[in-house]
Amino acid sequence: MPILEARAVSKAYGGFLALDNVNLTVEPGEIRALIGPNGAGKSTLIDVLSGRARGHAGQVFFQDAEITPLAPWARRLKGLARSFQKTSIFPALSVRAQLELAARKAEAGGDVGETLAEFGLEGVAERPAGAIGYGDQRRLDLALALTGRPSLLLLDEPAAGLSFEESMKLAKALREMANRRGVTVLLVEHDMEVVFAIADTITVLQLGKVLAEGPPAQVRADPRVVQAYLGSAA
Amino acid sequence: MNRGAFVKGVLMALAAMALGWVASKTVASALVMTLLAQSCFYALFALGVGLLIRQNGMVSFGHAAFFGLPGYLIGIGLKQTDIPIELLIPLVVLAVTTFAFLVGLVFVRVHGIAFGMLTLAIGQAVYEASTRLRGLTGGHDGLTIKFPRELFGLPLKTFQQPHGMFLIAWCVLVIVVTLVIWLAHSRLGRLTEAIRENEERAGFLGYRTLWPRAVIFAISAATTAAGGVLFALYNAYISPETVYWTSSGSALIMAVLGGSVAPWGPVLGSMVYFFLKEALGDVTTHWLGIIGISLIVVTVSFPQGLSGLAMRLLGLGARRRHADS
Repeated sequence: MPILEARAVSKAYGGFLALDNVNLTVEPGEIRALIGPNGAGKSTLIDVLSGRARGHAGQVFFQDAEITPLAPWARRLKGLARSFQKTSIFPALSVRAQLELAARKAEAGGDVGETLAEFGLEGVAERPAGAIGYGDQRRLDLALALTGRPSLLLLDEPAAGLSFEESMKLAKALREMANRRGVTVLLVEHDMEVVFAIADTITVLQLGKVLAEGPPAQVRADPRVVQAYLGSAA
Repeated sequence: MNRGAFVKGVLMALAAMALGWVASKTVASALVMTLLAQSCFYALFALGVGLLIRQNGMVSFGHAAFFGLPGYLIGIGLKQTDIPIELLIPLVVLAVTTFAFLVGLVFVRVHGIAFGMLTLAIGQAVYEASTRLRGLTGGHDGLTIKFPRELFGLPLKTFQQPHGMFLIAWCVLVIVVTLVIWLAHSRLGRLTEAIRENEERAGFLGYRTLWPRAVIFAISAATTAAGGVLFALYNAYISPETVYWTSSGSALIMAVLGGSVAPWGPVLGSMVYFFLKEALGDVTTHWLGIIGISLIVVTVSFPQGLSGLAMRLLGLGARRRHADS
């Protein structure tokens, strides 16, 4: 049984069709990467799956139950969490205060001390989140999404703005975290090094449609993907 | 909030009330006591406005409605019904709070200028009703409230003499300020602060974001209504000017002057406003212009208001942030 399924999802912004009849199935425990050129509809698909983008055609199922009409907060309570392309935290609240807030709504509870340690945020726990470094903010963003052990995590460009070394470190941390917590991950990422380092399966989008799907080696070898997106990056 | 902080809050509140009692016994001037009593009414008014700014990040231009409605409702209630005043007052505050909650469920969906305009509209609607429903409100002539000779076991004159009313208003103010500080540190306070900071993220943590903001709007109205009840008790009279938008503007000036970085900021703002107004009023008829300039200076130089400045001078900012966590 897939943990997440999108059936015939289409989403238009004005006259622009961002998603065109997209079908996607994510199995439990896998790390799935969504890749594609700019404007392919990757972030829109994450927005539709998380409930941020409304007014779309098609259906979304999570753990075999339809969640299409549910608001983001209701999807979160079912175990579907997400992080954002641009760091999304509470700048005036201390790191600890916002993790406590996240833990309070967590479906499986959450030990804030454990989370602080796991994400290396103990040293900045009492500081307002707006005053800590960018790397710490990215980790806090991820910690907020993961507090309470959700079943599925949607990540929108987690490595955005990070250096190569930081990106690879993040990729390793994500892989370890997914294994340790047994969380399924669906991530949008432009950094192919990160994608090929951690993804079990890759879905390639182009102009709002699924162009290819499969294990990293298969996708890397697909001439359509090479021509449309990977080019020399492969 | 832990037990230690709770006990500390109660002790500080009791000490503040004792200070008020000492002031009421030692300050002989009726004028000073009148000013202090009035500044307490308006401190509650501004506290409501400031609470909305602090917790929801929303600026109201119509809170005068919640300040004036209690007076009108008490006056009409005493005239039209046999409900005892001891029951009528809580019922009126409850009615205003419920009304604000229902209105808030609609209003807090929008932000910025749109929210400000909606609050202005409700404020002006109450003003229009107060001028047009002459049979009930007395129209532009206002409404004289006929209180019974005794309220809550105290003679009416206790509520209508400066010294008596100051002590009552001061105690109510201290209690409400203590509750507002607790609210700021409560789960609801933390949540609404988070929603103010990043509503979308709060939603993606599993929180519904509309209800908490509507609850804060209602609590803010209740705080202001408490000031309105005291105002009505003291003056035994209410007029449309009380609910006019300029009244909301004055409370907003007090809240901005005091700042919303500390929950008690608007109280400081209202005290400064009243005494500045009184002192300047003796010197010039253009006192409002000087207050306006002072507001510009404070807003530009100290965006966190006088309370922010006071906390910075006392080195409380960093401590507060740690305490908040």
